[in-house]
Amino acid sequence: MKAIKVKAEKCVGCRICEQWCSVGHYDLINPRKSRISVHRSHADQASYPLVCRQCPDAPCLGACPDKVMALSRDRATGAIRVDEESCLACGKCIKACPYGAIKKHPAEKQVLVCDLCGGEPQCVKHCPEQALSYIE
Amino acid sequence: MTIKGIAGQLLRVDLNRKTITREPLPRRLFEDYLGGRGLGAYYLTKEVDPGCDPLGRENKLIFMNGPFVGTMVPGGNKVCVTFKSPLSNTYSYSLAGGHWGPELKFAGYDGLIIEGESEEPVYLWIDDEKVEIRPAEFLWGKDIQETDNLLKKTLGDPGIHVACIGIAGENQVKLACITNDVFREFGRGGCGAVMGSKKLKAIAVRGSGDLEFADAKGLKELVEMCLPVYKQHPKALDRRNYGTNELVIHINNAGFMGTRNFSEGYAEANREFEGPVFREKAVFSDAACYGCPVACSKYCKADTRKHGLVKLEGPEFETLALLGTNCGLTNWDDLLKASAVCDALGLDSMTAGGCVSLAMECFEKGILSLEDTDGLDLKFGNCEAEIKLLEKIAKKEGIGADLAQGPAYAANKWGAPELAMHSKNMSFAAYDPRGAKGMAIVYATSPKGAHHMLGPVFPMEMAANNRFEEKGKGLLVKGAQMNFVILDSLGICSTNQAGFGRPQQIEALRQITGLAISEEELIFKAERIFHLEKMFNVKNGFSRKDDTLPRRFTAEAMTRGASKGQTVDLEALLDEYYGVMGWDRDGIPSKEKLSQLKLS
Repeated sequence: MKAIKVKAEKCVGCRICEQWCSVGHYDLINPRKSRISVHRSHADQASYPLVCRQCPDAPCLGACPDKVMALSRDRATGAIRVDEESCLACGKCIKACPYGAIKKHPAEKQVLVCDLCGGEPQCVKHCPEQALSYIE
Repeated sequence: MTIKGIAGQLLRVDLNRKTITREPLPRRLFEDYLGGRGLGAYYLTKEVDPGCDPLGRENKLIFMNGPFVGTMVPGGNKVCVTFKSPLSNTYSYSLAGGHWGPELKFAGYDGLIIEGESEEPVYLWIDDEKVEIRPAEFLWGKDIQETDNLLKKTLGDPGIHVACIGIAGENQVKLACITNDVFREFGRGGCGAVMGSKKLKAIAVRGSGDLEFADAKGLKELVEMCLPVYKQHPKALDRRNYGTNELVIHINNAGFMGTRNFSEGYAEANREFEGPVFREKAVFSDAACYGCPVACSKYCKADTRKHGLVKLEGPEFETLALLGTNCGLTNWDDLLKASAVCDALGLDSMTAGGCVSLAMECFEKGILSLEDTDGLDLKFGNCEAEIKLLEKIAKKEGIGADLAQGPAYAANKWGAPELAMHSKNMSFAAYDPRGAKGMAIVYATSPKGAHHMLGPVFPMEMAANNRFEEKGKGLLVKGAQMNFVILDSLGICSTNQAGFGRPQQIEALRQITGLAISEEELIFKAERIFHLEKMFNVKNGFSRKDDTLPRRFTAEAMTRGASKGQTVDLEALLDEYYGVMGWDRDGIPSKEKLSQLKLS
């Protein structure tokens, strides 16, 4: 299964990935609506892009309450899918994710997880540093 | 909440009355003034008396974003602060890159106006529509890095963006800067002192609003088309490898790199600072401002014998020259340390470097004694003395108190006015105008003092192989000045214009805002903005008598290097330039000119 792999040592912290994630999904820019987030560290003199790894054993799937069942796997891409109607943004998946790759939507009652843009991830396509790749 | 490139809103904070108000930014203002520097000119000239005390209650700090800020336009991150300068007593503005400007826009504000002054130290916390003026006793006295850390801890979010002042700003040192994201400065003109006079320590911002576009699909296609070409542009590659320090080799070889208080324009020792050496000895990693595919910023790290571990983002070329070669420094360890000290104190490293080099020349010539310097052995190249002097300036101690008023003030007091390398009390950038005559006009006529980014024409002069010519430079300078008004107003970093030129900028402006503005109209608007800035000073009594250069540039020929023998004929340059601008012999815009620009 293909997923987005991060090479943090190549990241310069320009956040162009955040721009294209946001504009790809919503036709607007809002870093808080981007499913990939870049964390800059002056202490480390480095930047770290955070994005869902689409783990095979995805703990987020198990954490979503039975009554809600908002998370599932996309059959075509294998990406974690969020059902916007049923998600309550309760935050259990956010806590369960070992990588901190899930976040709350800034305005709606739902969480944001990388959906691989249906198999053509925009962040990977537009990263000027080749810090992101979409591979097995 | 919805923000668009235009039709946004402005946040106004009165520190006396402790009021916070939001006001709409009418579309008409964006059409006339574009944003950023242009809107700053509109508001400052409308609201601030040219004769006011820059460190008094009447002065304002006007932060303005351009329509490109926060968008996918490469390098759309430059935010402009406009204010009356305590250093030059003139109109002033300063631009910063980084991530703070975009964050302010995501919080829902194209601009922020700070007015009045607080009695107690405060900071401003802007969290989308929630805006608070909070006590800042716990931050007062802290350096830039500590302030940033403490605020992130206090507000419980490491992802916020902070603009703040260091102790130099608190002490109203006239060369104090405002710093965002720890290493990105609104450097010049003393805006940090203005912020300090208002007892405003910091502005912390978090934004989660939408930035919408008139034509998102078009903008996506335009940026996608430009980027691949762009990354391969030679200038972009040079900047990527060596940052702005790629300039060292060109400027030093051409013999006009400020060295030892501009007594020289070339030194063999300066070669230590060339790009490849920089990359090898100082650079740890590359870094980028928001949305920039060039990533010219460099994180530097050195485990030095003299200064211990030194870590910083930077130094940029101007810092390298002014704090470095101009003070006789010859190695990276010393330069990185001096730069980090300025960063922590919140000093403009350029004018600070100009102040230190002035003191060094005065010391070497016997004008300042060891007693005057409180025992500092201020010989050129003595980094320890330089660092101690920088601290004295920030704390206004001993001769540092004189230099805290600016280089011209100190040199006058010490009886050596000709040794201050300044125009309007601001130190020069790295480029000695004897080696690129157009720069003489840029520096001398700049409304804010000797700054290069009003119209950096030296690369064009070098490419045209006419850098020593005086004739014809008036028109060249005017063109560059108007170009920079446009870039600074739109909010795009000038490094990015190589791959994203005027046609792309015009197209992007339409796609972002819906405004269709032709190149001719843009230039007209730029000229109008430029004259608004100019007239603020004219109303305050500024004229040709203030468009000056130090005697060293006009009367002392360069002694060595590839600009040897050169001096500047400033009067001839000014005559031609004033003519091109439609100004009279005294440098005052004619009535016809102002009415043509619809300013009378």
